[in-house]
Amino acid sequence: MSPQLTLQTPLELAPSEVPTYLEQLWSTEQQGNTGSGANTFCLLIWQPAWAEQQLVRSGRLNGPITGQQSNELLDAGRQAVIDTDLPLSTPPTAGELIAAVAQLDGDHKADDLRGQYIDPALSELQPRRLITLAPTINANQGLETLVAAYCPLPEEGGGTTACGDVVVLRGGHDALRDGMSILQPLLPPSMPSWVWWNGFLDEAPDLMDQLACAPRRLILDTAVGNASHCLNLLRSRVESGQAVNDLNWLRLRSWRETLAMVFDPPNRRDALCHITQLDIDVEGHHPAQGLLMAAWIADRLGWQLQGSKISEEGVTAQFTRHDGADIRFQLMTVPTGQPSVHAGQMVGLRLICQPEQGQGVCVILCAESGGCMRLEGGGMASLELHEEIVSVQHASPEMDVARLLSGGHDSTNPLLAAAAPLAARLLN
Amino acid sequence: MVATATNPLRVGLRQERVIAPQCLVIFGASGDLTHRKLVPALFELFKQRRLPSEFALLGCARRPWSDDEFRGKMAEALASKIAENQEAWDQFASKLFYEPVDLQQPEDVVRLGGRLETIDQQCATRGNRTFYLSVSPKFYGTGCRALADAGLLKDPQRSRVVIEKPFGRDYGSAQALNRVVKSCGQENQIFRIDHYLGKETVQNIMVLRFANTIFEPIWNRNYISSVQITAAETVGVEERAGYYETSGALRDMVQNHLTQMLAITAMEPPGRFDPEAIRNEKAKVLQAARLADEQEPWNCCIRGQYGPGGSHDAPLAGYRQEPGVDPNSTTETYVAMKLFVDNWRWQGVPFYVRTGKRLAKRLSEVVLTFREAPVHLFDAATGGPTANQLILRIQPDEGAEFRFEVKSPGSGMRSRPIDMEFSYDESFGEPSDEGYVRLLADAMLSDPTLFTRSDEVEAAWRLYTPLLELIEDSPWQLPIHPYESRTWGPAAADALLARDGLLWRRP
Repeated sequence: MSPQLTLQTPLELAPSEVPTYLEQLWSTEQQGNTGSGANTFCLLIWQPAWAEQQLVRSGRLNGPITGQQSNELLDAGRQAVIDTDLPLSTPPTAGELIAAVAQLDGDHKADDLRGQYIDPALSELQPRRLITLAPTINANQGLETLVAAYCPLPEEGGGTTACGDVVVLRGGHDALRDGMSILQPLLPPSMPSWVWWNGFLDEAPDLMDQLACAPRRLILDTAVGNASHCLNLLRSRVESGQAVNDLNWLRLRSWRETLAMVFDPPNRRDALCHITQLDIDVEGHHPAQGLLMAAWIADRLGWQLQGSKISEEGVTAQFTRHDGADIRFQLMTVPTGQPSVHAGQMVGLRLICQPEQGQGVCVILCAESGGCMRLEGGGMASLELHEEIVSVQHASPEMDVARLLSGGHDSTNPLLAAAAPLAARLLN
Repeated sequence: MVATATNPLRVGLRQERVIAPQCLVIFGASGDLTHRKLVPALFELFKQRRLPSEFALLGCARRPWSDDEFRGKMAEALASKIAENQEAWDQFASKLFYEPVDLQQPEDVVRLGGRLETIDQQCATRGNRTFYLSVSPKFYGTGCRALADAGLLKDPQRSRVVIEKPFGRDYGSAQALNRVVKSCGQENQIFRIDHYLGKETVQNIMVLRFANTIFEPIWNRNYISSVQITAAETVGVEERAGYYETSGALRDMVQNHLTQMLAITAMEPPGRFDPEAIRNEKAKVLQAARLADEQEPWNCCIRGQYGPGGSHDAPLAGYRQEPGVDPNSTTETYVAMKLFVDNWRWQGVPFYVRTGKRLAKRLSEVVLTFREAPVHLFDAATGGPTANQLILRIQPDEGAEFRFEVKSPGSGMRSRPIDMEFSYDESFGEPSDEGYVRLLADAMLSDPTLFTRSDEVEAAWRLYTPLLELIEDSPWQLPIHPYESRTWGPAAADALLARDGLLWRRP
């Protein structure tokens, strides 16, 4: 399905006129027979699309700029990785790549339609209001405010049409900061509001604090930005009691499910009490996802962290089990030829269980896209081996966000809430 | 069930959908079903943290109980479940309320509307309501009407009605009830419950068929020679004589539970996992189903009634000796019948269904028997080669087994059957939820996938109309065969299959 474009050309208004205009738009007198305003939720999106903006500016990608993660964008990003002599394991929208492309010449222009393209996965949920903050690479650009109403067309005909509207605030950093004052009146108190920070977690902290304030529910991605900063931010938000959802955690779902599946048969449960070693391999140099996985396992099994160490190769740590025995943890960053769009995705996991009596057990999980030779080596022959392939399906961020929104998730997942602080401690 | 600790890595991994804030209203709150099934299921949902914090349960019945009396009655009934969860119960009980309501009295229903508004304020349930009619079937129509007249069903997004079985007594009454119910609200507000559809193992039939490529190509008349569907109980009529005397096994079990199992076993693959797509396919297969001999139904249906049995030390009374049962009752406690599904997939394949009380074992299962190998190359250790069978065990001992021939150890080339087993206990180590847990959650989520639609119900009644008419008009043509308690039913039922050269499976 291709993204839907708003049916009417967005109207440019002065920021101060936006709340009144939208109020009038949805007043009873104005509704006519075209449908009613959806009584669902509001979504605010921080949509910098830095990679797309820089690739368009340098002439490596044709416009318009949409903020969507298209195949063309990813192809152009991968080509730019080669052209700028970055390591091949650099993801196609990584910060290093954006910085490298920013050094290239070019002043190509394209229409900026951020906030006006609505992914079908999101429009299917009939959001009442989509507010997009679209920072421009020209930090001094003034504020533009665009407004449009839209009514998603029901796919199978019939059905109630519940309409929504989109608001776009576009401009440089300072202009956006000034424009944020119009946001609160645009959020009906009777509906939940979500903030999707679709950018680096270590950029524009002042704007994030303003935008993602409680009780707004926050969606972020700890794979985007400095790993330590990402995990600390996640921890602080969780500890503050805000409802937080992490797309990086969401992408771990099949790993968690597969590992739990291995230990579903009751005769394997005992092995969980005798784990002596945990190894995790991740793509590239972003350990956040691997650490979240380790923290989840440690939390579920009641391990205590004794200490951790960061090195070029990754992270090592020592845990103790309930019975006082030691567990060695190692997270290795491994290079890959065709990196995932998301930095630091897990490619393998190994658990070694050594009971005092009886045969040891080795559990290896491998991503279907990569090999597990490193984890399969190292004298595992004497252990009973359980090996599973983890199916990792790469959904677009919009699909992931839609999945979160459709599930309600009005509070932080308790498993994430427990794992986030421990994952942050592993890097500190 | 294997006694074992919970898998710590499994905790919290279920991807449960989130139930919106709401008030569940149970009519018939003083009845058996409420304290035996509904409140325990809701308490289970509460313990699993699947109910929203903005939730209320309002019990309604004619008895003049207070909130506290209702809470006390429920606590008494659930004492064994509460013992280890006192704190959880105390929290849950604070969400229980009671309002004396007679659905036949309009002023009572108006007062109920006021009470619901108060609860909305008190519990932030936002006017979102699920009404559960756990009342006598004769009040289903008037109950819906009363709710509609009081304006309690006017918002199709925020109000829904759950109706227990039996939905009608025959095709005509089901049609009439559907007309009344549909005049009170939209179809997507009506949830006709069949608790068999809430069973994990019944839903697993769909997963087994439509998530694997190996079964669907052979799931048809080319490979399957017959299908047996059994729902056997060891208990007698117990305290339900009053109801059972007016229903019998055909109305109580076959028209709903067994027919739903048949529909799920025989349906075509839906285009997508979508409530309407699934219900369309189930309705289509029921519309294609017929009795094996509609002109002379006595050739394809056997009725039975349990007689005395048991041992000298522990005798079991016969049905006619049970309290509340007419000593000359001709109500069937056992039914066996043969059906066909007239479509491309199943033409000519007999479906044998049977159900009964006081049978030898408690079990529900679907057995698909495959055609024999065209040539027998090997001697069979058991006398003759055994046909391959796929057995889907619905309850107890939930799981599946596949029976096929292997070489018997030794120097010769003799074959013998073995069973390849899948057991929920051994694979998952955790009991599955009661059907009502799943179905109550689905109703509150407005997900109708596991509920029967009006056309399904009507098609199911229409299927058995020749039998019901015969029982009504000329019962002597469909005689009651007595059988000893705790046996597998009357010999006539064995003869029904013997005519086709088959045997009932003896599990």
